[in-house]
Amino acid sequence: MSSANSAFYKKDLLPVATFAVVLLTMPFWFKFIGGYSGLDTKIVIWIIFAIGFGILLGYMGFLSFGHAAFFGTSAYFTGLMLLHFSANILPAMVVGIISGIIMAFIIGFLTLKRTGIYFSILTLAFGEMLHSMVLSTLQDYTGGDNGLTGLPTPMLFGLKMQGDNVFYLTVIVAIVMYYIARRIIRSPFGLMLKAIKSNQVRLEYTGVNVARYKLLGFVISAVYASVAGSLMIVYEPYVASEFLSWHLSGHIVIMTVLGGVGTLFGPMLGAAFMLYFENVLSVTMGEQWLLILGAVFMLTVIFLPGGFVEGGSKIKKKLMGGDE
Amino acid sequence: MTDKKEKKIWTRRDVLKASVGVAVASATPMFFMKDAWAEEAIGNYPVKGSTVKFGFNVPQTGAYADEGADELRGYKLAVEHLNNGGGMLETLKPSSLKGNGVLGKKVEYVTGDTQTNPDAARTSARRMIDRDGVIMWSGGSSSATAIAQQYLAQEKGVIFMSALTHSNDTTGKDKRRYGFRYFFNAHMTGKALAPVLSKAYGKDRRAFHLSADYSWGHTQFESMKDFTEKEGWTTVQNIMTPLKSTDFSAFLTAVLNSDADVLVLNHYGKNMVNSLSQAVSFGMRELQKNGKTMEIVIPLYSRLMAQGAGIDNVEGVYGTTSWTWKQKDAGSQVFTNAFTKVHGFPPSQAAHVAYCQTLLYANACEMAGTFYPPAVIKALEDFKFSGTGTGDTLYRGEDHQCMRDILVVQGNSKAKSSGKYDLLNIHATVKADAVAYPVSTFKGELGPYKPA
Amino acid sequence: MVNSIFLQLLTGLQLGALYVLISLGLALIFGTLGVVNFAHGAMFMVAAYLGVVISQAEWGGWGVAIVLVPIILFALGLLMERGLIRFFYARPHTDQILVTFGLAIVLQETFKWYFGANNLPFATPDWGSGIMRLHDYLPFLEGFVAYPKWRLILTAVSLITVAGLFALLQFTTFGLVVRAGMRDSEMLRLLGVNISRRFAIVFALGVGIAGIAGVFGGPVTQVDPGIGMVFLVPSFLVVVIGGMGSLPGAVLASFLIGLAISFTATIPALANIIVYLIAIIILLFRPRGLMGQKGVME
Repeated sequence: MSSANSAFYKKDLLPVATFAVVLLTMPFWFKFIGGYSGLDTKIVIWIIFAIGFGILLGYMGFLSFGHAAFFGTSAYFTGLMLLHFSANILPAMVVGIISGIIMAFIIGFLTLKRTGIYFSILTLAFGEMLHSMVLSTLQDYTGGDNGLTGLPTPMLFGLKMQGDNVFYLTVIVAIVMYYIARRIIRSPFGLMLKAIKSNQVRLEYTGVNVARYKLLGFVISAVYASVAGSLMIVYEPYVASEFLSWHLSGHIVIMTVLGGVGTLFGPMLGAAFMLYFENVLSVTMGEQWLLILGAVFMLTVIFLPGGFVEGGSKIKKKLMGGDE
Repeated sequence: MTDKKEKKIWTRRDVLKASVGVAVASATPMFFMKDAWAEEAIGNYPVKGSTVKFGFNVPQTGAYADEGADELRGYKLAVEHLNNGGGMLETLKPSSLKGNGVLGKKVEYVTGDTQTNPDAARTSARRMIDRDGVIMWSGGSSSATAIAQQYLAQEKGVIFMSALTHSNDTTGKDKRRYGFRYFFNAHMTGKALAPVLSKAYGKDRRAFHLSADYSWGHTQFESMKDFTEKEGWTTVQNIMTPLKSTDFSAFLTAVLNSDADVLVLNHYGKNMVNSLSQAVSFGMRELQKNGKTMEIVIPLYSRLMAQGAGIDNVEGVYGTTSWTWKQKDAGSQVFTNAFTKVHGFPPSQAAHVAYCQTLLYANACEMAGTFYPPAVIKALEDFKFSGTGTGDTLYRGEDHQCMRDILVVQGNSKAKSSGKYDLLNIHATVKADAVAYPVSTFKGELGPYKPA
Repeated sequence: MVNSIFLQLLTGLQLGALYVLISLGLALIFGTLGVVNFAHGAMFMVAAYLGVVISQAEWGGWGVAIVLVPIILFALGLLMERGLIRFFYARPHTDQILVTFGLAIVLQETFKWYFGANNLPFATPDWGSGIMRLHDYLPFLEGFVAYPKWRLILTAVSLITVAGLFALLQFTTFGLVVRAGMRDSEMLRLLGVNISRRFAIVFALGVGIAGIAGVFGGPVTQVDPGIGMVFLVPSFLVVVIGGMGSLPGAVLASFLIGLAISFTATIPALANIIVYLIAIIILLFRPRGLMGQKGVME
């Protein structure tokens, strides 16, 4: 027991506690860098999404261009629950997240049969198909292009989920999920994911049931996406058809790569950066924020594939001067 | 090992408990403070400082971007006149506007891009509310964006004056206390247009509809179908075309293959520019079907769309609009002159509705003597006014829809046109009572005066 | 009845023709270089804009545009390959996707910045406008059957381009090297063939074909900065359905998709998802695509 405890302190306590403190105090310091209330919640939601996506891309090595499918599915089911069942967020979120997980098992089972570019395009195709379905085929249930409107104010057993309430709920969820992600990465399962990334075929030859691990890794990343999607509806009680679009899938890719693939911290940083850029810096930059971000993204992929995290460690090395 | 046991050890549980404790502790003051202000502060009221901020959320990209650009011009002109006098301040009756701002505060504004997309619209609106502190906002050029924003308005307690939204739902099943519509709707279009069409084309027509696949397209199709069938027409088929379509050839082929002799395009903005041009390129205005010449109808018209499609394509085509610059009444003239002076070209109905909505809101604040949303809402409800170019208009309190005149227009011909902005001829002005309808025609509840 | 089917067929072919022009370049580039070019849609967009500008310029005109735009795009392709893509041959596929995706965004935003987000009207030339009275030429048609001239021209251009490309690949030495490179590039290098210069030309050729697509397809699809992304996803799906690296496959799949869209137009609920459904089914049950080589990307 004590060795597990000491592992906890050394590896997890400091990062998780730092994470917790930074987020919990956000409402106080965010406005000094131009942030505003509401944006902080959004950033935390995307951070959750990015952590999961980082597990899939950074650790397992699979580039999905269709993760909006899980964000969006969870969002729609959460919304539908709020609209038709009860304004209480607990059953709504549970159903939303479960729907995302089921969708992940289905899509994962079908897409993970292929690798590389085929996998990416398949995920893109599934995502776009769901998007189209929600717009036309299922529009009687989903509200079509209007989205799901008229949702009641979400409640948590009598507590109105608005403003800061939502922020703190999101932060608590984020802290827990960050901790879980750290444990996953360092567990034997996490090792398996890294092995899949490095050489899937060789792993298969050693007798490991790679398909099962791939599917689990995929589903885990989808859980994060689903939680984020569900929280998004608690934050903003409106389900947009855009939540299933490949623009959303593209955004999470940009965030993760920009921040730094291969770590858990990178994607979080990327998410915060992109949202800050889009909502705060865009005021000074005007209409061209996406152009600048796109250029930064390209430069990152070309010269700094490890993202900001790699940049940060390079700077640290320079400052420390040479070795360690 | 023994060293560690002597230190005070925090277990995992302790850490989690502490985090939750910190979270609850920091959140608690927020609960109390919010309740204490609940009576006084709604949305971004009270307004502090010597200026008041309006938000203008228009499509700067996407299918309705041209309309959005003109809306923005209308908004800017309205702010100019509110702050300095002039324009419709001279013709609006009854008016409490003084031309020195609103309630003594100068009007400033921020703008946002709805991208003709309800999610972007809502996000942008939310940013204007949360970050920029607007006391009201206006805009939107697709009913989906207007409806999404209306719900946000109700949640946040900030009034939304919708601009271009034509769907019945906006003041029908999706009506909201914090949303107001000056523009007319599909029901009024159907009611005004159908008799004109049956007179011009006969009662024995078969119509094929292509409709934009979202709230507005649906309601306009339904309204046109109901009213044309009352005149004796048959509805052959309706295809809902995706909003993002640019190539309508597959749908137009289906129209050619059917036995329809009228094509009704329930499209707006770029959709309409494309579908009309392509329909004409398929020879649909020369076609002979069932012994008659095929005709095209565009129920919702705008001069900007006509410009985009080209005068040759719109010549003789019937439709309805809210307003055109060719109207001769005092309010329209003073607005058109002011606008043309700044921009060198006349305003479209998009600029007109943007301008009027801004003035109407400001006027309501002056009448109520406050920016407090419930009071401003009450001032607007059942407000009767004139001098804005839509005849004697009533802002109906039960659904926040203006009961007003609308225009049946027809595309001009190149020969008779006086210039590149003279594209629509007024065929008839249909008075407010001719297109009015009872509130019970559509479902929906307005909701409470205080945000949900 | 005959009219009805004929018209739907024609529309399907015409829709397919545009997909052919866009996906042919994509398939060529992937088949030979194994490069996934997410910026290919953006190339189409650039070409369409160039088409508008040149066809309406005083010094230009339509004839000039038709000749100049593919050439400019070819040059652009060379620039892209030498300046960016060739550094990514050794890098994992995901990196290629990412950098070209980034490039697509940058191009789209740049054009939006310069031209505005609204679409530019792209008028067809006088010799290409109007309708063609098909019933004058085809006796089996009943009554009055017309079709827009420009769409027929587009279809013809598309077929000519396909024929031209195949001729190039089948009957020239250059084509022989390219085809060999598609089979086994490593072997070619070992044989001393300067593959990298050929690759640059192949890439440029693929982009040049997108140039043809842009200038002929622009009037049909409308010209705005987002048009590239709109076509990117379906083009990829077309290439995948046809078989990555198979040019006949891309052509076949394009027409298949065009016909599918045309014949399901009256059932929008189906028409909107038909492309994805077909792609998903193919990818799951015949991953090499309709005409791909066995073992490619399986």
